[in-house]
Amino acid sequence: MKITFKVYRFDPQSGKAPYLQDFPVEVTPGMTILDALGEIKAHQDGTLVYRRSCRSGICGSCAMKINGFNRLACETQALLLKQSVIHVEPLPGLKPIKDLAVDMEIFYEALARVKHWLINPDPPPTDKERYQSPEDFKKIEVSTSCILCASCTASCPSFWADKNYLGPAAILKAYRYSFDTRDKGFADRVGALDNKHGLWRCHTIMNCTDCCPKHINPTESICHLRRMTVENKY
Amino acid sequence: MDRGIGSGGAFAWFFQRISGVFLLIALLAHFWVLHYSNNGDVTFNLVAQRLSTPLWKTIDLTFLVMAIIHGFYGFLMVIRDYVHNHNLRLVLVSLVWTVGIIVGVLGTLTIIAFKAPGGGGL
Ligand code: SF4
Ligand code: SF4
Ligand code: FES
Repeated sequence: MKITFKVYRFDPQSGKAPYLQDFPVEVTPGMTILDALGEIKAHQDGTLVYRRSCRSGICGSCAMKINGFNRLACETQALLLKQSVIHVEPLPGLKPIKDLAVDMEIFYEALARVKHWLINPDPPPTDKERYQSPEDFKKIEVSTSCILCASCTASCPSFWADKNYLGPAAILKAYRYSFDTRDKGFADRVGALDNKHGLWRCHTIMNCTDCCPKHINPTESICHLRRMTVENKY
Repeated sequence: MDRGIGSGGAFAWFFQRISGVFLLIALLAHFWVLHYSNNGDVTFNLVAQRLSTPLWKTIDLTFLVMAIIHGFYGFLMVIRDYVHNHNLRLVLVSLVWTVGIIVGVLGTLTIIAFKAPGGGGL
């Protein structure tokens, strides 16, 4: 089936405004948006820029706006969208660098602000790792499957309105570590969370939960962290 | 860049939930008292009598304070969401506080000073 891909093109050096370029592609069953982009790059226009690495929904590099929704290009099959025209645009809310590639700097910077690593001042046991029981892991299991694709943060209206807002992905990471039974770092993170650019900017719009390709619910983690913050303070 | 580390917001958020629950209950009670408890008869005298008692004055004062805090905090939220220009934000936030306080004082005066015309109550 012939599908027209309307692809967002932008080259800051050309001085031209961004525009949508049409690329007709013969799509076969099972073909993903990423495959189609590869087809376009190989046979129609080698200057097309997009990010990808694993091609199997693990690395999180290929998130983009496909027919209005943030999704992974490598996990979205073109025929399943049931459209003869497919719009492919960069993630909204982040600065486009070129074509489909966006500047991820503020996204990573928000992660660093919540200290997205295990914090525990006690020395680990010398003979083994820090132990976590399977039951304890279950509590945070879903949140550990985040691949940092930024679909959620880029779909969040609160983030569009305030680029300093941590965003659902960073808050989810804060949740993932703060609710890890081996972690003692909540006090180090609370400054970034209990903050006008933190937890309180979320208005439970749930775009993040809607679009997460790993079926994570960042909104729920935000609510858990709010409760934790309030309980810790009062 | 303004990262606002440590500037808080937990109490405001928490209080917004408490006042929200209070307002929900108070509003339902208000509708019931006003429109159903007397077969739906709403007359000035009836309301005036009620508002003259200390108990109702206290209830109405709490209602007033909660509603103002809840409502005006909502305005502050919108401003925090969308106004990033420091000066404009200062102006708008001051405006919200000023109007909130004026409305609060006027409401409080009205409730406290109210006397039923026919006598009775305080
Ligand atoms: S929570 Fe989901 S949408 Fe957000 S970065 Fe992680 S995997 Fe992507
Ligand atoms: S639920 Fe919160 S974090 Fe998620 S999209 Fe909505 S406002 Fe953003
Ligand atoms: S290319 Fe790695 S997630 Fe799509």
